Amino acid sequence: MKRGLAFIIAVFMLIGLLAGCSGENKAEADKTKDGKIVVDFWTFWGSETRRPIIEKIIDDYNSSQDKVFVKHTFLPWGDIWTKNLASVAAGNPADVIVNDINTVAQRAENKQVEDLSQYIDDSFKQKFHPHLWDTVEYDGKSYAVPFNTDTRLLFYNKTAFKEAGLDPEKPPATWAELEEYAKKLDVKNGDNYERVGFYPLWGSVGASSWMTNADSGKGFIEDGELTINTPKKVEALNWILDWKERLGENTVQAFQAEFGSEQANPFIAEKVAMWVDVGTFYTQLRDYGQDVDFGVAPIPANEEGSGNWAEGGGFVVEIPKGAKHPEEAMDFIKYLTDVEAQKYWSVKNYDNVANIEAAEAALNELEGPDKMVYEATVKNLKQTKMFPVPVEYPDYHSRLNPHIDNALLGKTSPEEALEEAEEDIAKMKKE
Amino acid sequence: MKSSDTTLAHTKGGSKVMQEQKAAETVGRTKGLSKKAKENLAGYLFISPWIIGFLGLTLGPLLFSLAASFTDYNITSKMNFIGLENYKRMFTMDDLFRTSLFNTIYYVIFSVPLTTAGAILLAVLLNQKIKGMKFFRTIYYLPAVLSGVAVYFLWMQLLSPSTGLVNTMLAWIGIDGPAWLFDPEWTKPALLLMKMWSVGGGMLLYLAIMQGVSAQMYEAADIEGASPWQKFYHITLPMISPIIFFDVITSTIGAFQIFQEAYVMTENGSGGPGNSLLFYNLHMWNNAFEVFDMGYASAMAWLLFIIVMILTTVNMKLGKRWVHYEGGDSK
Amino acid sequence: MNSTTAPKFYETKKFRENVRLTFVTLLLLAGSTLILMPLWWMISTSLKSPAEIAQYPPSFFPEKLNFSNYVEAWQTAPFTRWALNTLFLATVGTIGSVLVNSLVAYGFAKIRFKGRNALFVIVLSTMLIPGFVTMVPQYILFSKLGWVNTYLPLLVPAFLGSAFFIFLLRQFMMGIPNELVEAAVLDGAGHLQIWWHIMLPLTKPALITVAIFTFNGAWNDLLGPLLYINDESMYTLQIGLQTFKGTVQTQWHYLMAMSVSVLLPVILLFFFFQKYFIEGSNISSGTKG
Repeated sequence: MKRGLAFIIAVFMLIGLLAGCSGENKAEADKTKDGKIVVDFWTFWGSETRRPIIEKIIDDYNSSQDKVFVKHTFLPWGDIWTKNLASVAAGNPADVIVNDINTVAQRAENKQVEDLSQYIDDSFKQKFHPHLWDTVEYDGKSYAVPFNTDTRLLFYNKTAFKEAGLDPEKPPATWAELEEYAKKLDVKNGDNYERVGFYPLWGSVGASSWMTNADSGKGFIEDGELTINTPKKVEALNWILDWKERLGENTVQAFQAEFGSEQANPFIAEKVAMWVDVGTFYTQLRDYGQDVDFGVAPIPANEEGSGNWAEGGGFVVEIPKGAKHPEEAMDFIKYLTDVEAQKYWSVKNYDNVANIEAAEAALNELEGPDKMVYEATVKNLKQTKMFPVPVEYPDYHSRLNPHIDNALLGKTSPEEALEEAEEDIAKMKKE
Repeated sequence: MKSSDTTLAHTKGGSKVMQEQKAAETVGRTKGLSKKAKENLAGYLFISPWIIGFLGLTLGPLLFSLAASFTDYNITSKMNFIGLENYKRMFTMDDLFRTSLFNTIYYVIFSVPLTTAGAILLAVLLNQKIKGMKFFRTIYYLPAVLSGVAVYFLWMQLLSPSTGLVNTMLAWIGIDGPAWLFDPEWTKPALLLMKMWSVGGGMLLYLAIMQGVSAQMYEAADIEGASPWQKFYHITLPMISPIIFFDVITSTIGAFQIFQEAYVMTENGSGGPGNSLLFYNLHMWNNAFEVFDMGYASAMAWLLFIIVMILTTVNMKLGKRWVHYEGGDSK
Repeated sequence: MNSTTAPKFYETKKFRENVRLTFVTLLLLAGSTLILMPLWWMISTSLKSPAEIAQYPPSFFPEKLNFSNYVEAWQTAPFTRWALNTLFLATVGTIGSVLVNSLVAYGFAKIRFKGRNALFVIVLSTMLIPGFVTMVPQYILFSKLGWVNTYLPLLVPAFLGSAFFIFLLRQFMMGIPNELVEAAVLDGAGHLQIWWHIMLPLTKPALITVAIFTFNGAWNDLLGPLLYINDESMYTLQIGLQTFKGTVQTQWHYLMAMSVSVLLPVILLFFFFQKYFIEGSNISSGTKG
């Protein structure tokens, strides 16, 4: 017995040692063997679908010149930024990193990113959607370059529309219509819903999106002013509560729980007839919902003319503070955000990119439903608002959300909730 | 050496072995200083790896974080002394701090006794002479091996209000199960349930120490006609008390630091419905890595240090009364 | 019991014992099914096609067994390499942890040296500070030592003891009669010999526990390798698992297939190691019997 154990341990050790020793060849060198400068590029694009695309772009860049070699490193979502922070603090960060678009100012304020202004002129700025470029500016300087973005659309099930006697080419345009359609699209069996027409909190959308949509696209903090407790935002919360009441707590919870695992999707399973989600949701529909006959439309406006406002997100590429080769890094960033690379990324990933010309070029390469959804997302960018986190209120989300939760749970009235939220957030203002 | 403490504990323990041991101790002491110096040296040598690690790797970062708690340290650029400002903020301005402390204490109060009792019970069951025990032990240890997102997603399914396994089973016995992760009142019990499921890690500790309890002691008790409960209470329980002590202290520390579950199950640490899962460490994490206020996070960490330190000290003092060391040394 | 008539069969001790054991077995069986549900869910998902996973309601048994998921998942990235790396880290870490922690624990449990209690309190107190406030300074420290992008930040600490295991092993060693140590001292044995020849064999179940815990911990560690390793060729399985979690879509079939694969070695290890548990010491019977 003992010998057996010793043997197992010895084998483990041996295998391990071999693996370990060969692994410990440090590849942290600044230069490759043939004298090229190594630029470290950290992304969270490690999946089987995204990795080949970004690596193709990197390969193209590497072979397009002979001074720099870009080395791609995958780091898991979320943790990538923890590591970035530690490595900036230790003074050995990557040269280029992908980061969240709505928090660039935070990082600029805390000196986590390099100022890129010296490499950037107006003609460069104009290549990008203006609402995206706004997010990378802080105190009159540019700290990042937008890479990709997203926007939210209303996906609706045309078959269900026909069943309910609705015109499948006329999606709801206002909240009132949305409600009217939804009631017609509900399918009930006794007390149980077999299909729910619509529920505002399902999909890639939350209460805050509806609140800003109602308020003509006005966010929670505009130009340093708190605009949380506004009549329109209260109205939006009441509206959501109405939905909840109509469908019943049980229905809402049951649906939410069934699909909470993110594995199955109720719109694809045709259990929900209208659904707000980002443009890339289309790829799931394409792959797993071949039978679903669907259309897309902008998110309905609060009332006619108030605007079909959608919330947007996305990512930027930036140079962490203290990177060793900022100039080379910037050259690569320019390549990454130029038409060719952006178009390739866009077509292959079915993703909205920040470069305007690339987005249009991508549109020309797509056809059929691919083109239909993509075109809708590109158009929708004009009604998409970014809500970058202001530096004075870095954690306003985590302070606002519980109040909204309380209102939605019926613990407080929407008016009270938003009033308290505004007080709370005002209290935590940073000088 | 606090010999008075030792004596006290010994008279409480009161076994013959202990008294003999004490006699031996006194003999040893009279032998003179050189032996004592030797023992000291041997002691330091034995614990030297830990001392090296502590001085070289742990102490620096610990002191750094203590110092940071009096500053506005933001990890990357600034670190200005601001006195007790961070500590003041916790109690006067930050409502989420109170929520998070409450949530955490709630969790500690329930999870520590439940998991300790659960682990002991399981260990007793798995310490029988039953066919296939190897398989049973492996199965019950399994949840402790499983980790990561998959487990949390799994639990989200099991706890699903209408079709989840948990509520389905409750329905069999006529109970209308709660909405678990969707109802702020039930989110913490849901987490406790999850914790109970993976009690196999603690079970292993008890199982290990139960291997040291001699069969003869049970046989002797059998001859005297002791019931299984009496055997458990008078033989098993004292013998495993050092590990109960260990388990209570470490699981208290662990429960105060609950983080991962809440972080994963509430979408990047949003804190769950109505902030019912905003635990202390989650709030600390958000401050450190979302807001970059590491100074504040450090202050929170050191306040937690003080709270848990007090609890641990109380535990240690109480432990002297009920922990039975067969080796005869109470400290 | 009546001594004049033979006890009825249901009154015999053996019968009662059998009833009790049957009851325990049934209880354990029932519990097992509960425990195994998740594993079943993992395995079943790992064998489904992506389209079937997206179905609602989820099916209990896969329509078709897609064993190819395992092969494909393994091939999406250098998993063989990562598996070997993980094995190396976990094995070396485990050996270090068992040896060093038992040494230190012996010092705290059986040697009377000056300041022992105070030092032990410090050991415990290192457990009380949440890791992430010391994470950044520690990273900076390792970075200054030039250890970033090597396995040293992951291995060296394993050889310098961990408070949790020191405490655990100390508790076990406190349960071992001091006479044993004293007798050995009288025989002229040094502490190192006592540790090796008496303490290690007598605390075998505890050491196995420490080994299992350490191996398991190192095997499942995500943040450590992720922070300190910059080179993908030195990555570990847990980082590898993260590649299946997409920003838009998670590849559940691959994620589960790899999760099961990653789980398997640890379960097997536990299954085979636990016999040393039973074989292990019976301290009291040996010394007091």
